Formats: sequence, structure tokens, C-alpha cells
Amino acid sequence: MELTPSPGAVPPAAGRPDRTIVGQVSPNWVTTRLDFLVNWARSNSMWPMPFGTACCAIEFMATAASRFDISRFGMERLGYTPRQADVLLCAGRLPFKLAPVIRRIYEQMPQPKWVISMGACASSGGIFDTYAMVQGIDTVVPVDVYVPGCPPRPEGLLYGILLLHKKVRGETIADPALRRERVFKQGDLQIPARLIDELSEPFGNSIHQTRSA
Amino acid sequence: MNPTVDSLRRAFGTTIGRAFVSCGQTVVYVDATELRTVLRWLKESPDEHYEYLVDLTAVEYRDAERPLEVVYQLRSLWRGAELRVKMELLNDEPLEVDSVVPIWRAADWLEREVYDMFGITFREHPDLRRLLMWETYKEGYPLRKDFPLRGRFSRAEQVRQALAANPEAHYSLEELSAAQLQDDLPGDMRERLERGERGLIAEPGESDDG
Ligand code: SF4
Repeated sequence: MELTPSPGAVPPAAGRPDRTIVGQVSPNWVTTRLDFLVNWARSNSMWPMPFGTACCAIEFMATAASRFDISRFGMERLGYTPRQADVLLCAGRLPFKLAPVIRRIYEQMPQPKWVISMGACASSGGIFDTYAMVQGIDTVVPVDVYVPGCPPRPEGLLYGILLLHKKVRGETIADPALRRERVFKQGDLQIPARLIDELSEPFGNSIHQTRSA
Repeated sequence: MNPTVDSLRRAFGTTIGRAFVSCGQTVVYVDATELRTVLRWLKESPDEHYEYLVDLTAVEYRDAERPLEVVYQLRSLWRGAELRVKMELLNDEPLEVDSVVPIWRAADWLEREVYDMFGITFREHPDLRRLLMWETYKEGYPLRKDFPLRGRFSRAEQVRQALAANPEAHYSLEELSAAQLQDDLPGDMRERLERGERGLIAEPGESDDG
């Protein structure tokens, strides 16, 4: 069978011709079958890297322990080393001081990798609309699934994990952009500054607080 | 009232300011000039023996006229007595106090925290760096009353500055308890730690393009 390049295929990058071969393959019977196999394997054997910074981590522990038991979903191996993990599970609030740390951990994880943001704090800063807290980890690392709650119950986290499985099953190796990773220098923002300001606009009680400069 | 206050007045006279009891705690104000002498006397005089510095912190009141206070919470484990010593810092003077690290080693991080949160400088502190916020933090002193809750910079700028910090650059060999590993560390890391370099440090290969 001949592999025909799809019309919108990305031209091969200089010096790295082999990387884009998959990208030139149009979604056909072979790739969809292969996708199915790969995604089935990936989604059923995810190795999470728990990044537990606060109270949500307690609920994560409950999720990992016997009653809720995330090993039912192939996740029993908690990797406390980013180099052997697929899912970064940020459970808890992220102070600015940890922002470079979580970025480095994310960068150390090999592809394919996904991120779950567990709890209100990790997703939006939560109740901590203060000088010390990142207003949502998506301003620092890309996030795949947000789990709302303060803290989310273990069922909530499990639902988030199942949503991630669903997302993974929908991925295709024919999509060259999927695993492309940007390399950041120190201090680089991953989303535009304007967007960060917009995302972290005060809400709830904190709209009455002023900024002096 | 803790009888120590009377002994203090006998020994130091007018250096000792007002004293009162609040919620069972004796609070005594001490003049800044004699602070270290008084605290050393409290620790070393055999009748007082306040050998334990429970806490060292600072207070700024909402009333802008009131001076900042540095608070020393002392305890004598031996006698089971407690004493709260306070020192006032007038607003129009530079916020400077003598460090008590030479008296109680425990004051080291406590003074660093007060410096970090209130911007009070401790003279002769061996290593006065920020403790809670990262060392290149530029927005000021978060617990001061004029500090806005969400910080001074825009969120995007805060994220940018936070990401610009090198998470490994804040420690010395001793702090990492890695002094004995010195020979095993990578050369550049060892060199950096030995230099005691702090804060913003270029990543290796930062100059080449991504
Ligand atoms: S979302 Fe709630 S439970 Fe989770 S870290 Fe924040 S405050 Fe704690």
C-alpha cells in the first residue's frame, strides 16, 4: 500500500527528515488501527507523577488508596520521578516560587505526557487570590483536564482521569502537532501576557481589592 | 506581672519602657539602643535564664501613626516562665534592628522571615536573605500594610518573574547537606555552589536559540 502525503502535510524539517513521515500519512485504515492499539495501551497504563502541594493531595492519596483504588485504571504506579511518568497530576495550590519547579518537572517528562489540574487552586488560584499564588497552573504548563472542587472528591478525580483516557483514545499519530513541544527559556511565558492577565482577573470577594501600581 | 520586669528596671533603669499584662502574658517594651544587652542579660543572668527564643516576629498596626514593633517571645524552660519583649521602630527612621543571632541561634531564620515580610533589616545577621519569597522577588514586603493583597505587578509580570528564577540557585552546599557529595556533583553545579551564587543564574546554553 502506498502512503500518500496529505495535502496539508508539514514539509520535513531541515536535518530531521524522518520526524515528519508520520505527519505525511493521511488518516487511513492502517493508522486508525495503529492509533487504536497505541491509545488503548497508553490510556490503560498511565503512570502519574503526583505533584501534591496542598490539601488536594490528601484527597489524591485517598484516590490512590484501597477504597477508590486508581490501579483499577492502570495507574497504580505512582512515579515520583518525572522521567518515568506520563501524567503530571498537580494536586493543590501552586505558589509562584514553585512555578519554575513545575515547569522543569513538566519539561523532564518524556512525551507523550498529559497534565491533570486537580482542584480549584490548581485550576484557577481558588480562594488564594494573593500575591504569592499562581492563578491557574495553565499559565505555566499546558493542562489537559481540569478537575473542579475544593477539594474534588475521589470520584471527581477518577472522572477526570476517565476523561483523560477518553481524550487519549481520540488522539492520532497522524497529527504532527500533537506531541510537538516548545522549548522555553527561563522567564518565557507559554501563553501571551494579555491572556494571563485576563485569566487571573479577580472574581468573587477579591474584586474589591486594589492594585497600587 | 512577671517579676522579671522589676529586675529589668533595677538593672537597666530608663531603657525599659512601659510594661503590662495582656491575656496572662507580660509584655515589656525595651529601647532599641540597649536591646541586645537586655536580651543577652535575660538569657544569661542566672536568675532569669530565658534560654529559649520561642518566636521572633513583627507587627505593623493599621493606625499609621503607631510604630512597627519587633516582638521577641521568650521562655525559660528551666523556670517555666514566659516573657514578651517588644521594641518599637519609628516610621520615619530606617527599619533597622540589631540581630540576636549571636544570642539565640534560632533567630536566624526568624529574622530572615521578618526581613522578607516586613523589610526590617537586622544588623550583623550572618545571612540576611529572603526566606519565603524567592530571592529575586522585587515587589516589596508582603506583610506591610501598604502592600496590596494581589501584589504590585500584573499577574503576567509576576508569572514571568517567577519563571525567570532558577529553582536550583538558592542553596549553598551546606543547605543542601551535600557538602560530602562535593566530588560527585557536576562541575558547573559545584562551582556555582562554592561561589555561593544566588538568585538569577543563566541556564547552561541559554545563549543558543532554543
Ligand atoms: S482546591 Fe481546596 S482542597 Fe485543593 S488545594 Fe485548594 S484549598 Fe486545598
